[in-house]
Amino acid sequence: MEDYARVVDRFVGFGGRTLEQSGQYRILAARAVVWDALNDADVLAACIEGCESVTKLSDHRFDANITAKLGPVKTKFKATIEVSDRNPPESYSLEVSVKGGMQGFGKGRAEVELAEDQNATLLSYRVEGNVGGKLAQMGSRLITAAGRKMADGFFSRFSERWADTI
Amino acid sequence: MYRFNYHKPDDMAAAQQMMADAEDGVYLSGGMTLIPTLKARLASPTDVIDLSGLALSGIELADDSLTIGALTLHSEVAAGNEILSLSNLALAIGDAQVRNRGTIGGSIANSDPGADYPAAVVALGATINTTAGAIDADDYFQGLFETALKPGAIVTSVTFPLPGRAAYEKFPNPASRYAVVGVMVAETNGDVRVGVTGAGPCAYRQRNFEQALADNFSVAALDGLEVDYTEFNSDIHASAEYRGHLVGVMARRAVAQII
Repeated sequence: MEDYARVVDRFVGFGGRTLEQSGQYRILAARAVVWDALNDADVLAACIEGCESVTKLSDHRFDANITAKLGPVKTKFKATIEVSDRNPPESYSLEVSVKGGMQGFGKGRAEVELAEDQNATLLSYRVEGNVGGKLAQMGSRLITAAGRKMADGFFSRFSERWADTI
Repeated sequence: MYRFNYHKPDDMAAAQQMMADAEDGVYLSGGMTLIPTLKARLASPTDVIDLSGLALSGIELADDSLTIGALTLHSEVAAGNEILSLSNLALAIGDAQVRNRGTIGGSIANSDPGADYPAAVVALGATINTTAGAIDADDYFQGLFETALKPGAIVTSVTFPLPGRAAYEKFPNPASRYAVVGVMVAETNGDVRVGVTGAGPCAYRQRNFEQALADNFSVAALDGLEVDYTEFNSDIHASAEYRGHLVGVMARRAVAQII
């Protein structure tokens, strides 16, 4: 794992790409419900596009298998998600590292905050990350747009789960 | 490149059947995007279905429109036809090698955010003819590499209404010639449309430019108009803000060509 992180750090200096994305969603459910869903492997799996499986190893660790599809590119990734700064039911941070063999690798941090808003919950997120490897080199002009699409896709699918409840 | 099964059907029904039978199939047109992707092992389809055996090539003129077959090469469109701006657009795609392999159908089915043809499709109000019905330009481009093309369907041709006047201007990436930003301004039967490619996740219409030009078709009409660049692409070549600026510059240049 340390070796891998070093490779990412080195690569980022040689053409890795930086992503930054933030957004806010109003979810029609109570904060405790949203918090539980954010910690439920099945819910996460249903909201990640191309997700084949999410395994919850502990409250602090998820593993996921994802097939990312973007235009002509379709490639499998393994992601490990470490949960830190866990403050139920208000916020957590996620350290995500992604390995896709020679196709690419990435590392990112997401901060998620939940605030009560009458009967609903305001979810705010901020994601930053680095992507390296062949995927980042070939797709350098597309990486930020792709990152935005993935993050936005996840949180919009997540909030749509409660679209009809209130 | 990973191993895959190669098919070259000679009719449309067979091609679609092969796609339906494949575990994870892809259609191959000119291969200007797909082949490099396969070579880099960024995709591993089980089946590649080469459409080059289908009779989908050629340019046909009707009373008020031009229909271009999906397999028509960029170089064939560039060689000249009744829509000068479309020929100029095709002539500015990639390099000679790309223009002699790449096809209009492939470009439109792929919907790369930096592709040139989508600006013309949107600005000229074209119709995308597919094996699953015709799709209006305004409904076709939906997001980054996302279109209204149904899974397994094939683009057969594109019908462009003949414009009264039209021009395409782009700011090309100096290496790839992809459009950092490309803008087509067209007036067809009194209706002004402005199609933008390269700037956002997919081609779109710049509606505030269209309204200004409909009132007063001049370069000055575009002065001071804002472009919302919050959702624009940002990369090492150009920031979102810079792309927003280029939309205005390219639109002015296009208008200047045709007043």
